[in-house]
Amino acid sequence: MLDTAQPVRRTPGRDTTRPARRRRRPRSGPYLLILPALVVIGVLLIWPVVQIGRMSFEKVGVRQLRGEPAENVGLANYRQILGDGFFWTTFRHTVLFAVVAVAATLLVGTLVGLLINRLGTKMSAFVAGGVLVAWATPPITAAIIFSWLFGTTGGLVNWFLDALPDALVGSGWANYNWFGTPLPTYTVLTICVVWMSFPFVAVSVLAGLRTVPRELYEAARVDGSSAWQSFWGITFPLLRPIFGVLLVLSVIWDFRVFTQLFVMSGLANRDAFNLSLYGYSEAFGSLNARYGLGSAIAVVLTLIVLLVTAMYARMVIRQEGTS
Amino acid sequence: MRFTKAAATAAVLTVAVAGCGGNDKKDASAGGKDPAKIVVWQMGDGSPEQTKFLDGVKAEFQQKHPKTDVQVQYIPWPQATQKFQTAIAGGSGPDVTEVGNTDVQSWIEQGAFADISDKLKGWAEGKDLNKGALANDQADGKTYAAPWYGGVRAVWYHKDWFQALGIQPPTSWAGLVEAAKKIQDKKNVPGIAAPSDWTNGILSFVWAGGGDVAVKQGGKWTGTLAQPQAKEAVQFYAGLVTKDKVAPDKYVGKNELQGPQQDFALGKVGMYMDGSWALPQLEKINGKDAKNWGVFPIPGKDGGLAPVFSGGSDLAVWKDSKYKDVAFDYLTVLDSKKNAQAFASTLKFLPQFTDVLQSATYKNDPIMGPFAQAAASGVRFTPTSKGWADYEGAKKVLPNAVKAVMQGKSPDDELRKADEQAGSLLNQ
Repeated sequence: MLDTAQPVRRTPGRDTTRPARRRRRPRSGPYLLILPALVVIGVLLIWPVVQIGRMSFEKVGVRQLRGEPAENVGLANYRQILGDGFFWTTFRHTVLFAVVAVAATLLVGTLVGLLINRLGTKMSAFVAGGVLVAWATPPITAAIIFSWLFGTTGGLVNWFLDALPDALVGSGWANYNWFGTPLPTYTVLTICVVWMSFPFVAVSVLAGLRTVPRELYEAARVDGSSAWQSFWGITFPLLRPIFGVLLVLSVIWDFRVFTQLFVMSGLANRDAFNLSLYGYSEAFGSLNARYGLGSAIAVVLTLIVLLVTAMYARMVIRQEGTS
Repeated sequence: MRFTKAAATAAVLTVAVAGCGGNDKKDASAGGKDPAKIVVWQMGDGSPEQTKFLDGVKAEFQQKHPKTDVQVQYIPWPQATQKFQTAIAGGSGPDVTEVGNTDVQSWIEQGAFADISDKLKGWAEGKDLNKGALANDQADGKTYAAPWYGGVRAVWYHKDWFQALGIQPPTSWAGLVEAAKKIQDKKNVPGIAAPSDWTNGILSFVWAGGGDVAVKQGGKWTGTLAQPQAKEAVQFYAGLVTKDKVAPDKYVGKNELQGPQQDFALGKVGMYMDGSWALPQLEKINGKDAKNWGVFPIPGKDGGLAPVFSGGSDLAVWKDSKYKDVAFDYLTVLDSKKNAQAFASTLKFLPQFTDVLQSATYKNDPIMGPFAQAAASGVRFTPTSKGWADYEGAKKVLPNAVKAVMQGKSPDDELRKADEQAGSLLNQ
């Protein structure tokens, strides 16, 4: 800290002594500075990941946590889950949900970002603030509120749909069970997750938009370009890196959605499980913990996310290479 | 540098503490003198009534062990499993603990509890403990816990509606459907709630039909849901939604608390099945209607009462406790007939002593009466296999099968699949 602040205040006379002192500094300095962060990341992130990887090849229950040696079962955990037809059902749910939710999040987020950019100072601050409240809501709170909204007795959505003319939306909404079958469950889940995650996209897009020179848009307008053309011709290419990051982050987030689904439909609705819930039910669902099997599912989930991210990273590198 | 040093110190400390824990365990039971304190785990949030009750128990306990302090720690039910697992893993358990009776077998198997068979013989009141409930606390002929309080499920109904429509509390399955139909026609609300995430209640119907979820033969569990009696019961229960259409499909995939309870209290459903413990919550939702609520036992198929599952809590001495004798003394005070009844009453549960259940106190109680009647007539328990926790908790086999049948899947297929899972889960 001192070193970086000093050059501003230094007096001309002391100029000669400084470079000499700099050269004598040991090169390990920067590494020492990031050491605390590395230790924290190592303990909180890397070590658990290593543990999960190890446990996925073992049979681990509560007794093993207590110190009994864990039995190495090789690939048995993986063989069990990959050979289970149910795994593929949850896999399908996870992927389909991620595709829909990521697309919807990016779309809504971008539109809101464009909207805020157009608004005046006061209004844009108001909308941005309001949108950020949704982002700041903890998933568990959001999940409970959404299951109330879509609940049967006292649920706002059913009440509203029931109040609408039957010719428009059909009848019988008052007792409609949103969490009885996978499709409606995932519809509510998508709305909830998009509601929570689009603000981040909106704000990031907004930040990007503020860096685009206004002249570009003015020139485009003079040339008779529509808003649609301006977006694809100017905004999107310039914000491509931002959209890239947002895409990867959204994919990572939406692949591992757990809390909302757990609260909304829970363990009694296996037909609506996704990979996270499946892993949870195996590892922690009963008193007879099966951490090994749960770890294997977690590893599979991680690998999928890594794969998607890697594919994207490769795409970016290729693009940069050609341009 | 300092970081590594701190980390190293922490690591050494952890090992040292773990090591100490290990040594202490061995020395423990040898020196059986009065300790300075024992730790007791109680489930729940520690309501004022519970705290007051436990203060009384402590005073009574200290008459025998004046030097021993009792430290009560409350553990919310949803955290119980994790807390137990951590305690088993880390050796940081209590001396005495409350434990949900459905979980007892799993914890016994995981080595959480001390064998109290011998101590139980020296406890006079222990001889009147409900035999069925006690069997749930035993494994390989040894006893690891004592039943404390329990509750059974019955059918809650609106007395005023029944009166106005001229319905008598039904005594058979057909009668139940008939009553539900009548309510549905006249009151314009669903007749009965039939949630699918309700293992212990659905079992009552399975048992009443003469079936069971699984039987143990030659040391091996076999799923028996696909057999005719059980299948008929599942079809009847699911049929409340699909065939008789007296139960709405909005409770499919839910449990009795995710709708039915609230709807019953608010008069939006005719009947719903739950335990006596639901009363405080029902009153909280709509107390001014409480005088109109009544209860009748879940009927048998063609009459009589359906056997019921008794849900509740047991008390156990922790295996790692250093003061097992003192801990057991505390257990007997907490679970004395007087205290067990007093506490069960505050929770709207029933004590687990057969003679107390048959006493006039319960016979004359309009709400607790039918529950005590059901409990005394036939309490059944789920398979005493540690795999039951997977069958019931992680996999929710019966709820998912019933849900599928309610949504039009073939009962034969679903129940056969459920039995296959029983075979693999219960025999691990």
